[in-house]
Amino acid sequence: MAIIISTLNNPWFVFLADNAAAKAKELGYETKIFDSQNNTALESDHFENALVSGYSAILFNPTDAEGSVINVRKAKAAGVPVFCMDREINATDAATSQILSDSYSGCVELAKLFVQQTNKKGKYVELLGLVGDNNTWARSQGFHSVVDNYPSLKMVAQQSADFDRNKAMEVMESIMQANPNIDAVFCGNDAMAMGAYQALAAAGKASKVKVFGFDGADDVVSAIKDGKIVATGMQFPKVMAQTAAIYADEYLKGKREFAQKLPVAVELVTKKNIENYAAFGKKEQ
Amino acid sequence: MPLLEKKNNKTLPWLKYGIGSVVVMILAYNSVYFRELDEVKAEASGKFDAAAFAKTFLEKQLSPKLAIAPDIDDLTTLLSTDKNKAFDAYSHATAIGNIRYFLVKGQGVITQINENDLTIQTPKQQLTLAMEFIYGNALRDASGEFDITKFTKTADINNVSSELNKLIRASVVFPFRPKAKVGDTVQFAGAIALNKEHLNLTEIEVVPASLK
Repeated sequence: MAIIISTLNNPWFVFLADNAAAKAKELGYETKIFDSQNNTALESDHFENALVSGYSAILFNPTDAEGSVINVRKAKAAGVPVFCMDREINATDAATSQILSDSYSGCVELAKLFVQQTNKKGKYVELLGLVGDNNTWARSQGFHSVVDNYPSLKMVAQQSADFDRNKAMEVMESIMQANPNIDAVFCGNDAMAMGAYQALAAAGKASKVKVFGFDGADDVVSAIKDGKIVATGMQFPKVMAQTAAIYADEYLKGKREFAQKLPVAVELVTKKNIENYAAFGKKEQ
Repeated sequence: MPLLEKKNNKTLPWLKYGIGSVVVMILAYNSVYFRELDEVKAEASGKFDAAAFAKTFLEKQLSPKLAIAPDIDDLTTLLSTDKNKAFDAYSHATAIGNIRYFLVKGQGVITQINENDLTIQTPKQQLTLAMEFIYGNALRDASGEFDITKFTKTADINNVSSELNKLIRASVVFPFRPKAKVGDTVQFAGAIALNKEHLNLTEIEVVPASLK
């Protein structure tokens, strides 16, 4: 099986790739991991190579929801099934199945806690991820599907920080100049939550402002324990990677009926249940 | 008689016009009907109508299953003694993972009215009935009737939950909440969410789908 990953310059995707490869090997397949370096042209080359080299299935983490569609279609035309992991593509007739974190529902759970923690009132900031990424909007929409029912919760700023910690810190510093009195920050991932927290700490406001993240990254798991971050939505990349490999194996053995979109549950992590969790998933028991 | 005949002759055209008008009005009423523009636009664009789906789902699929849902006290007893059997027999979920949903029903006495929920005492346990936060996938997934393989768009899958919750808030929770009093007995049916790996039976919250 070919494992084509958007970038290996991020521990999250390395973890995803390694787990997909491990499961595929366990099922008896040879594997090779390709790094697209967030470049759709390079991703296209990897697809060409994978097809020419005779790989029987592709476990795929797309670089771009729109730009990656053509690559998946190419594989489909060649009779090679593609199973998307963690990121979706903007087509429902190309990949055999897309296995994705249930970001929307995870953020619904975070939003319920957000409303309770803020006593249904106050000013808040939302830091969005990459605006071209479907996960950014799934998370934001899940959050707003709850929070927007509380008119006393006022969003004073909504800005993108590209899922990046340093950018989140800069954006937060700039927002605080215009809005010095905020009560909470909702972030589309944990890196931005840590960046926002740093900016708040530097301004001496960390104890007054409640910060929420999403992912289940190592530093946020620690920050929740320390009471710096209120909560995160824990994703399970290992489950996504292993499911993709299992589905590919089932396809190659003759199964043809797969859900086009298969959500993977996201779990709410707070100080109350943090002992059950480690980075990117649960502690082994 | 001639007077009557004359009167009848005068009345007859009015009667004829009257009946004619009624017929025309009935025909006009039945040949013109009004629909919301959003609904028409949705149909024209082939867009999924989540609100209509949720209404049918509630009536045809969820409600019949609620009637045969396990009693909450029996279910929690089974969960305490044989967790795997309880999850295998009664839980469902659209997403893969450890969060699973159960349909339940039961009866209890309201012991406390809180800001976001009601505390109730059943014959065997204390639990809460959600009154404020009717969100998430519990009602969509708990019956096992929701078939994700029929959907290709993530937004449609999420919108079914959203519309179903909206329906329950409006038709079940809002009418019930102002009337609820401590000491009242309530019959409920709904859904609960439990984490299979880290099972916690001390803080069960029922998302109601029916309250009496």
